[in-house]
Order: sequence, then structure tokens, then C-alpha cells
Amino acid sequence: MHEKTQNGPTIETKGLVKMYGDEVLALDGIDLAIGANTIYSLLGPNGAGKTTTLSILTTLLEPTAGSAKVYGLDVVKQANEVRKRIGVTFQETVLDEALTGRQALDFHGKLYNQSTAMRQAKIEELLTLVELEDAADRKIRTYSGGMKRRLELIRGLMTEPDVLFLDEPTLGLDPQSRTRLGDYILDLKVNRGLTLLLTTHYMDEAQLLSDKVGIIDHGKIVAEGTPSELIEQMGEDVIQVEGQGDIGPFVEAVKALPFTQELSAANGVIQIGVDSGNRRLVQVVSIAGEKGFRIEDISVSKPTLGDVFLKYTGRQFRD
Amino acid sequence: MNAAITLWKKHMYKSMTNPEEAIGMLIQPVLWVVLFGVGMGSLLGETAPGAENNYITFMLPGIIALTALGGAIGGGTEWLNERLQGIVREYLAAPIPRMSILFGNASSAMTKSLLQAIVIMIVGVLIGATLSDNPLGWLGGLLLVAGYGLGFSGIAIAVASKTDSPGGYHMLIFMLNLPLLFLSNALYPLQTMPTWMEIAARFNPTTYVVTGMRIMTFGGSDALETVGTIPLWLCFVVVAIFLTFGMAMGYRAFKSSLK
Repeated sequence: MHEKTQNGPTIETKGLVKMYGDEVLALDGIDLAIGANTIYSLLGPNGAGKTTTLSILTTLLEPTAGSAKVYGLDVVKQANEVRKRIGVTFQETVLDEALTGRQALDFHGKLYNQSTAMRQAKIEELLTLVELEDAADRKIRTYSGGMKRRLELIRGLMTEPDVLFLDEPTLGLDPQSRTRLGDYILDLKVNRGLTLLLTTHYMDEAQLLSDKVGIIDHGKIVAEGTPSELIEQMGEDVIQVEGQGDIGPFVEAVKALPFTQELSAANGVIQIGVDSGNRRLVQVVSIAGEKGFRIEDISVSKPTLGDVFLKYTGRQFRD
Repeated sequence: MNAAITLWKKHMYKSMTNPEEAIGMLIQPVLWVVLFGVGMGSLLGETAPGAENNYITFMLPGIIALTALGGAIGGGTEWLNERLQGIVREYLAAPIPRMSILFGNASSAMTKSLLQAIVIMIVGVLIGATLSDNPLGWLGGLLLVAGYGLGFSGIAIAVASKTDSPGGYHMLIFMLNLPLLFLSNALYPLQTMPTWMEIAARFNPTTYVVTGMRIMTFGGSDALETVGTIPLWLCFVVVAIFLTFGMAMGYRAFKSSLK
């Protein structure tokens, strides 16, 4: 482990802005402060700015305005120092398929100027960690999606980084591989003391893994907190209603009810946070009848991070 | 420098362990020499002074220059692939100078071109070309080819950094490739060209690589051309300028593609 160069957050951005050309505002003032030994998940719809944020933090892109620091090191002015301390897994699989798994890891270590002995030791250790020993000398083009993702994860760990950036590490994997990769990620924090910033598409995964979650939309952080903090905002239970008819009067009437703790309506989905879903369901239905809103689907559930996400972004994640 | 060597090794390993590429790399220049050289040689054999094999000696530097262009184009294709597949991001996130990424690519393309140049020289001699009897001249010729190949690699990388389509890349690069080859004395002598063409050829770096090789590497090639009109030192100067220009162009385009 490297020594910290300064106290304060391990990852920090202030007013981060990124314009692509003159027209596309990808990031509109992102402020992040992520402490050491934390798993932070950035959630957001496609195009919200997750990958752009990661690209700036990993020194691949320069911000248009604002600053970003990793371990107190500026990602633009001290890019090379930052690069020495971070590991990265990109959103797409970025592997040279003509190489074997072992060659890919060895090449990576060489890029970082690691000694031969060091590389060999790390390769053996990491292959064991993600159970890829048997496939190590096969060409990567014969690997399954899950194996490639595991290989990329340990490639990011070859150089013993203090901070690991993972862009959609489990995208496109089957549930079993996802769980497995999730376990490895948790292990990195718990047993190796890493700080991880990841983006993900899977709410259950974010809820399970993260110490802290930031929801990003249109280039801004719209909500931030621990998963349980965010979920508590939603009320005890969430009644989710979909239907047809005039949505306005129905929403106004429900909002006025004393037990309604939270209400949001987006894209025809109305979420009502209430103190007790089962007791209040009948009342909500009868109000809908009075106001001429025809309910097509209604459900009661304990709120999840997915509900929080829907509230802030107006979009549902569909796996 | 370490990083450039690491990248060079990886590119070389990939080419050499890919049978289609490795075999194609050796066969293609042989086909050029045998098919084009023998055909053209026997056509000219009756009209040109001297024996038939003079044309083969004459055109070998041209084929070597052509092969160096082909090698650089291949390097650009690899560059484009790595960009489009995102592989280049592994390099970009690593603590290595940006220039080493460019140099790793260009130097592996150049190495392959040099290997091909040596094959061409061997095949050329086998079918009757005359090589200079001074091995230093062979090295001097290879040095010029290396500089020329690196220069065009820079240009190919610049084009490959600006476009996102492999089709667009090849279209653009062939538009540059053709005049570089045919508006030069690679395949026909300066003296027989119309004046406009000769002037254009004198602004073409290819002319200087080819002339330099004729002077140093292929001693007996003055049957079709008096090479004395361009001095050897000028060949090195022009190739050095081309090399610097190409690399600068590649580097600039690469940098701006990161914005």
C-alpha cells in the first residue's frame, strides 16, 4: 500500500464539468468525496455521465472545468502519479483476444514496469483468486463472458492499486457469474483495504455491495447516501400504481392524505411512500375511482434502491 | 522507452504467431518482385539499354518502399482496431508516456517492413538483381527505409486517429499511398517523365529513399537512370524531415483524439 499524500477523501471531485464539443454537456458540476476503504456505486441511466466521470478520474479524459483528485493528486497535472496508483476495468471488454490470459496479465505488468519475479507471483496469486488457473494458458478468445470479466478484474489488480475503478463490471453476465464477481469485489474492500468506485446497472448489486451510492442523471448527482438512507426516504412501504386517465387530480388527492410520506410520478408510474402499504391500499384505490383514474396495475412492496432510482431519474432499470 | 519496447514486443508477437499474417508478409513482396519485376523487365528488356535484369535491380528499391508503405498502413489498421475495440485505453490508463504508445506501433510496423525488405533483397538477388558489394550500403539503405516507414506510420496513425471507420481509413490512406508510390522514381526513371511529373516526384520523399538505395544498396542500377542528379546526403536529409513530419502529425492527431 502506498502512503496517503494528504488527509481527506481518497477520491474527490469539485464542480466537474465536461463538454463534448460545444453542444453536449456530459457533466454539469459533479461533486464527489469518497473516503478510504469504501465501495461507492454510481448509478444512472445510460448517458447520465457515469462513464465520463470514470474516464476523467482515470486520466483518460480531461475535464472542461472543475477538478478531480485521487489521493490528493490532480488527475490532469499529476496524471502519471495517479495512473501508478489506480486500477481500471472498462465498460466494454478490453482484451487482446489473440493473447492467453497469462500473457495479457504479464503484458499489463510490463507496462507498469514490474519485475519478472513480481509479475509471476502476482499472476499466480490473482489467477487463484478468481479461479482462472486452468484457463490461464488458453487464448482469451476461448473464454466465456464471465471469465473475461474476471480476467479484467484481476488485470486491474496486477499492480496492487489502492483505488479500483470498475465501469459496469457485471454487465451482461449471468446471475451466477454476477454473484461470484460481487463476492470478489467485496473481498477486495474487506480483506485488501481497497477503495472502489463502480458503476452498475443492477440495483440489487448496488444495494448489496455499496457503502455509499450516488445517483447521477443529466450530468448531476441527484441523490447520494448509504443505500439504507436512500431507501428510508421512500417511506415504510411503497405502493406503485400504473394506469390510465387523468393523473393530476389523483396525485393531488393522494398527496393530501395524512399517511403519504413521499410521492413521485414519472413516465406513468406513480410511487406512493406510505406508513403501511397493506392498510392504505384500499384507500388509494378508492381515491383513484373518485378521481376517474383507471388503475391497471398496483403493487405494494418494501422500497428498494430501484424505487429510489425511479424516483430521481424517472426511469426504471430493466435487467 | 521500456513501454515502447513492451508494446513493440506485443505487436510483433501477435503478427508472428498469426500464420496468415506471417506468411502473407513474406509472400506478398516476393509476388511483387517476381510478377511485376519479371513482367516489366522483359517488356523493357528489348527497348532499354543493358540486360533484362537491370530493370529488376532498378525497381527493387521501389518495391521495398512500397512494402514499407504497406507495413505502415498495416500499423495504422492495428491502431484503428485498438482504438475501436478500446484496447488503447489499457495503454492510456498506464503510467507511460503517450509517445511510447505511438512509437510501439510505428516501430513494430517498421520492423516488419525491414524484414520484408531483406526478403526482397534476397529474392531479387536470386532472380538476377545486382546488389552493391558493400554491406554498409545495405545497412544505409535499410536505415532510409526505416525512417521512411516510420514517417508514413505517423501519417497512417494520424488518419486512423481521425476516422472511426475502417473503410474510411483505407480510402484515405490509399489516396495518399498511390501518389507517394507512382509520383516518384520508384518504378520509372525521372528522366523519362513529363516535366510536371518530374517536378512532383522531386517533392516526394519516396524519390529520395529510392535514390538513396540505388546509390548505396544496389550498385549496378544506373542502366536506366543516372542517379547522380540527387546527392546521397540530400536523401538522408529529406527522409529525416519526412520522419519528423510524420511522427509529429501522428502525435498531434493522437493527442487531439483524447480530448
